[in-house]
Amino acid sequence: MRLMQINGITIDDTFAEAFNMRGTRVIITALNLKWAYHAANAMTGFATSVIGCGVEAGIERELTADETPDGRPGVSVLLFAMGSKVLMQQLETRMGQCILTCPTAAAFAGIVSEDMINLGAHLRYFGDGFQTSKLINGTRYWRIPVMDGEFLVQEATGMVRAIGGGNFLILAISQAAALNAAETAIEAMKKLPNVIMPFPGGVVRSGSKVGSKYPKMFASTNDAFCPTLKGLVQTELSDDIESVMEIVIDGLTFDDIAKAMKVGIEAICALGENSGVKRISAGNYGGKLGPHHFKLHQIFGEILK
Amino acid sequence: MTSLTFTLKQNPAFIVNCGALTPDKLIGKTHKDILQITLNNNIKVIDLFEVSGIDNQHIIFKNSHSKLDYIGYQMLNGSIEIEGDCGDFLGANMRGGTIVCQGNAGDRVGDQMRRGLILIDSNAGDYVASRMLAGTIGVHGKLGKHGGFGMKRGTLLLSQPPNLHATIQDCGTHNLPFLKLLFNAFKLFNSKFSSLDSTRVRRYCGDIACNGNGEILVLEQ
Repeated sequence: MRLMQINGITIDDTFAEAFNMRGTRVIITALNLKWAYHAANAMTGFATSVIGCGVEAGIERELTADETPDGRPGVSVLLFAMGSKVLMQQLETRMGQCILTCPTAAAFAGIVSEDMINLGAHLRYFGDGFQTSKLINGTRYWRIPVMDGEFLVQEATGMVRAIGGGNFLILAISQAAALNAAETAIEAMKKLPNVIMPFPGGVVRSGSKVGSKYPKMFASTNDAFCPTLKGLVQTELSDDIESVMEIVIDGLTFDDIAKAMKVGIEAICALGENSGVKRISAGNYGGKLGPHHFKLHQIFGEILK
Repeated sequence: MTSLTFTLKQNPAFIVNCGALTPDKLIGKTHKDILQITLNNNIKVIDLFEVSGIDNQHIIFKNSHSKLDYIGYQMLNGSIEIEGDCGDFLGANMRGGTIVCQGNAGDRVGDQMRRGLILIDSNAGDYVASRMLAGTIGVHGKLGKHGGFGMKRGTLLLSQPPNLHATIQDCGTHNLPFLKLLFNAFKLFNSKFSSLDSTRVRRYCGDIACNGNGEILVLEQ
C-alpha cells in the first residue's frame, strides 16, 4: 500500500464508490435573494438521502440578476434521484408545495437536454382555467394567477444522467476538529458548479454499511468507523481517532465530483495536522455495487508527480 | 445569407393578396419560381415586386403599401419585416414566426391568429386581434375600433390606452413578470418594442363573450 501524506495528513489508498443517478437543475428567482433562498431552502429541504427522501437536493449557487431569465436575483438548485420516475414525481411535488407557494418566486429550467421533464406543466391546473401560457423564443412558460400576482413557471426542464455518492471521510482526534475540518471543506466546495453536498450543512455523521443484523434493514451504521466501537468490532480506526465525519457529493459528471473531492480534501489538508485531522478516507462497498470509483490517490495524481 | 426581399415597384391601384409570400410557403422555391407566383387576378410577383436575396426564412417587404393585404397569412415560422405600411389581415391565421411592421397596419391584424408574434411600430386599424386564439400582438401607435373583438386567448400589447368595447374588462394595474422575458425576446427585433423595459401594465381581459382568457395589456407611461 502506497503511503500518501499531504501536510502531515494521511490520504488512504482507497476509493469512494458512487452510483448512477438522474439529475436536474432548476433556477429559482424571486423579488430578492432572501425570498429566492426561502423558496429554494424549502424545495431542497428533507432531501438528504434517496433512502428516505426520494431525492437528494441542494442549492448549487447564487445567481445575480443578469444571470437569470427574468432579470431577478435567484439561486440554482440541483436535484438527484435513483430513477427518472422518482425524480419527476419529487420535482412536481416540491415545485407545487415549495415554489408555487412561496411569495414572488418563479422557476425556470436550469439545464437543457433531450429528456425534458415537467416543471410547471401540471402546476398550471392550479390556475383553474385562468392559467395562460406564453411561447417565447420556442420555450413555453405558464402564468398562473395567484394571490400575490402571477406565478411564472417554465413548462419543462432537462433531465440528465448524473452521479451520486461521491464521498470522503474525515478522521480526527476530536468531534470539534472533525466538524471544523468538514466546515472548511464545504466552504471551498460550495464555490464549485454542478455539485451539491445534500446532507445537513453538507456533512453527514451517520455513514452506513450495506445490510444489518435486522432482516428488514437494508443499511445500518458503519461500525468499522464508529469510534466508540473501536475495541468491539473490526475497526478501521487507530487509537487516536475519536470522531469521523463524511462529506457526500452528488454531481452532474464524474469530473465534477472528482474536482469537488479534491478541492474539499485540499482545503482540509491546508489546515495542517495541528488541526486535529489525522486521516482522509472514503466510503465504499467493496466496489461491487456502484459503477463509479473515485480513487483518492488518483484524484491527487497530479500532486504525486 | 441576405434576406429574401420584395421591393414594391410602384404603389398598386388595387388590393394585392400577399398571403402566398411566407417563409414556410416559399421554402425550397428558387428565385425564378418565386417571380412566377400568382398573387391575385393573374397578377404575378414579377409584375409588382423586384425580388432579391436568397434567405427564404427571413422576408423583407420594402416600399410596402397599405394595399398589400394578408402579409404573413397562415405563416408557420421564420420572420417577415415590413418597411412601410401594410394592408388588412396582417398575420391572419398565423401559426408561428414573427412579423415586424415598421409602419401602419390595416384592419383585422392577427385575425384568428394561433401562435407567433406581430409587432407594429405605428398605428393599426379596426378589429385588431379579432377572433385571436393565442400569440402576441404589439401595437406601438394608435388602435382603431373594437380591438380584441371575439378574442379567445392571447395578448395584445399596447403603448396607448385604446377605446374598448363593453366585453373587454379592466383588471387593474400590475407588474407582470413574464413581460420581462417577452421584452428580452423583443430585443432581437428592429422595432420600437425592442427598447421596452418596465413590466408595469394595465390589464384588460376579454373578449368576455368568448370566455375572457385573452388580455389587452397597456404599458404604463
